[in-house]
Amino acid sequence: MKNALVIAAREFEEKRFVIYAAVAFAILPFLLAVIPGISGKSPQDTIVLSAVIFATTFAIAVAVISGASFIGRDLSDGRMSFYFSRPAGSASIWFGKLTAGILMIVGTFGFIIVPARLATGEHWTRMISSSSTWSVLYLLTVAIALFLIAHVISTFARSRSPLIVFDFVAAVICGVSIRFLLLPLMAGEAAVIVSGLSLALAIIAALAIIFGGAWQLERGRTDRRRNHLALSQFLWTTMAVTLLIAAGYVGWVVSLKPSDLTGHVQASSSASGPFAVITGKSRGRADYRAAFLLDTADGSTWRVDPWAAWSTRYSRDGRNAVMPRRAAGGADVLLYTRGKAEPVDTGLTIAGGDFIVSDDGKRIATISNTRTLSLLSIYDVPTKHSLASVRLPDAMYVRGLFITPDVLRLYLNGPDGGVKIMEIDARSRALRETGFIASPKFVSFYLDPAGARMLAKRSHENVLTLNDARTGAVIRTLPTTGPVKAAHYLRDGRIAVVDGSDSATVLHILAADGTPQRDIPLGAKQWVAIIGDDGARVVLNDVDIASRRNMFEAVNINSGVVEHREPNHEWVSAGVFEMRPPIEPLHEVLYVGDQERIVAWNPATGATRMIAGG
Amino acid sequence: MSDNAIRISDLTVRYGRMIAVDHAALDVARGSVYALVGRNGAGKSSLVRCLLGQQRPQNGSATLFGEDAWSRRTSLMQRVGVVSEDADAPPEMSVAAIARFCSRLYDKWDQDSVEARLRTFGVPLTSRFGSLSKGQKKQVSLAMALAISPELLVLDDPTLGLDVVARKSLFEEVIGDLADRGTTIFITTHDLAGVETFADRVGMMEHGRIVLDEDVDALKSRFRRIRFAAQPVAIDTAALRPTVMRSWGGGAEAIVSNYDDVSFERMRSTSNIGAAEVEAMSLEEIFIAIAGGNNS
Repeated sequence: MKNALVIAAREFEEKRFVIYAAVAFAILPFLLAVIPGISGKSPQDTIVLSAVIFATTFAIAVAVISGASFIGRDLSDGRMSFYFSRPAGSASIWFGKLTAGILMIVGTFGFIIVPARLATGEHWTRMISSSSTWSVLYLLTVAIALFLIAHVISTFARSRSPLIVFDFVAAVICGVSIRFLLLPLMAGEAAVIVSGLSLALAIIAALAIIFGGAWQLERGRTDRRRNHLALSQFLWTTMAVTLLIAAGYVGWVVSLKPSDLTGHVQASSSASGPFAVITGKSRGRADYRAAFLLDTADGSTWRVDPWAAWSTRYSRDGRNAVMPRRAAGGADVLLYTRGKAEPVDTGLTIAGGDFIVSDDGKRIATISNTRTLSLLSIYDVPTKHSLASVRLPDAMYVRGLFITPDVLRLYLNGPDGGVKIMEIDARSRALRETGFIASPKFVSFYLDPAGARMLAKRSHENVLTLNDARTGAVIRTLPTTGPVKAAHYLRDGRIAVVDGSDSATVLHILAADGTPQRDIPLGAKQWVAIIGDDGARVVLNDVDIASRRNMFEAVNINSGVVEHREPNHEWVSAGVFEMRPPIEPLHEVLYVGDQERIVAWNPATGATRMIAGG
Repeated sequence: MSDNAIRISDLTVRYGRMIAVDHAALDVARGSVYALVGRNGAGKSSLVRCLLGQQRPQNGSATLFGEDAWSRRTSLMQRVGVVSEDADAPPEMSVAAIARFCSRLYDKWDQDSVEARLRTFGVPLTSRFGSLSKGQKKQVSLAMALAISPELLVLDDPTLGLDVVARKSLFEEVIGDLADRGTTIFITTHDLAGVETFADRVGMMEHGRIVLDEDVDALKSRFRRIRFAAQPVAIDTAALRPTVMRSWGGGAEAIVSNYDDVSFERMRSTSNIGAAEVEAMSLEEIFIAIAGGNNS
């Protein structure tokens, strides 16, 4: 300890000119403040700003230059024997020089900052935010990190050893490994773990350099090549062990299974077929969020990016799910098919925007939005060929669906209101406007299975119309008995409408042309969504006023009887992006139950089964 | 307590494929003066670095006062004064700062002796080390090494850069005085004439090997130059082994490495060699002969 201080004092004495320079830079802001052309209206501003700039620049310059010379130069100039021929231990030599170097950085920074800080008083606190203390600490940490890095590079480079090739390779491997360690965590939106792990790796790397320096002098002493070898061995061994441990930890964090999810569980499911995406957290894994695509029928699972959970699109036949996966420069679009273990990379890459999947999942249309244009492209997945690509008119919001495998219809909410209806034929590659719905308000609509007609409802209005889906022309206004709560086409082409007051909500079944067929009183319901039908039953999710609970209800269309009810905490939304009823009958409905379990409810039998979580 | 101040056993130092020191072994008794000689690149400096614990040998060991030089370097350096081959103090430091720094590291320190010595050789304490001449730097190193009254003084080519006066002072006053006081001295040098008068033992390195390790008196007593009036001359090689044999004037000259008077007289009486003159040889001549003989 005593010898380390003696050596630190010697280093300081040798580099006292750096302190002199810092003192000069400390005076400079005050000189600048009295030069009229530079100081402007507020000399105090000049003092604060120039002191911060000078201190920062000076500290970093001192860090890099000192780091590159305090050991490396003595080794390359053959002067290390000056210390080693004295009764000073390697650790004393190292920590003495290291202490001097770090104090030099902090000291010169302080020399420049403190006079300016004292002289400007409250002006300083007004100009520099309250987080300035942290900024200073951050800056000094960066400077010390640069000091350590410069020492390593200097030791490696000055040894003139071919071992530097190995060091370069090891550094690249470390960098790539860290990137691969952090990528799945970032994909899992684990900001806390990412920052914690990054900080831990940075601290361990710094400690590896600090103790590696002592090790290099103990093993290498006056020999620059042996110093290089010893530092290299210590540093890369430490980093390799650290990265292995980190890899084990990351591996454990990301090894979640659907059944491990215990917190913040969310899910969405396909309107037809058994696909669902669930995301959630687990105990002991901080904020890491895992996401899975599930085939709830056969139990198959695929690990997917959590951020992409809400971008999942399903083919109308219920056999395919299409999801983006983070990749360099955007996201790759993957096609998951029931019964196939591995997803197919469609070859499509998207950077924002949206995509639309055909009924059979064999065609995908992408809408990429840039600041100046929206571009629509249609791809054929099996051949991985682009079939058509057109520029879209300006629109606030675009919805679309494949009417046939070749014809894509788009509904564009224009910036000035109204909905523009357009079709593009992949064979002719022509984009044509086929209709328009004039409305200053947002129009929600739902198409029949053939895509020929649609139910349209303007926001905040209680008028439901039957329109031509291609032209937007109103065919007729449908009869309603109060506020319209939900309107859907059933799979057989008939129409289901829920309306009425909260105390007397009614389910109406209408023929395809809008002719009323049956009214089914539902009782007191505050909010109602039509989930789908299985041919015999319409499944509703509502808030039952009597019990104040979310409730699934299976209503027999023919008898008008509510056959089954199932209380649920949170409905797993299905078919949010669907504009038409599914091809397959509704088999199960998912909800988030007690203890964040994902539960499947069969509306035909009223039976439940646990899918994941809890 | 070990009787040897230095023991080097089976020491090997390699730099990659190059062998700098090849299974070297030598002992230096306490209180003796050992001179290690050899050409540039013979391996002397590598051996000295191992001796000072600055370099770890690949094989073998170097011990000082019975302790391993590598693992016990820090404590051993309290007892060892070192004058390195190259001036190694930071060039920005003043001589006074170097003395101050060293004084804080050693348990014993004689500042007066440092100042006296430097004054003698006209080295100002305020001078920057980097501004000094090569000889002055050596004087500074020597002053620092002597300030601790070392039990062992290691001098790695100390006369390099010294003028005649300083060299004479080093050999006659410093080394001679220290030797008289019982300090062990290990010196590597090219200046054989300088060490001849006080070295007790001498070693020679060639290509990393110690090819000679012998008491100086014994060495000098067995080497002789014999000049013959006529040639050719046939020498009984079984009795006297010539290291070098060459023409000299009208006759011939032989340098023998196993000379003794009895053998010589026997050879002269049994051989028809005519007139012959026997001369003693200096250390320098002996080493030239040995180096020449080994090279040939």
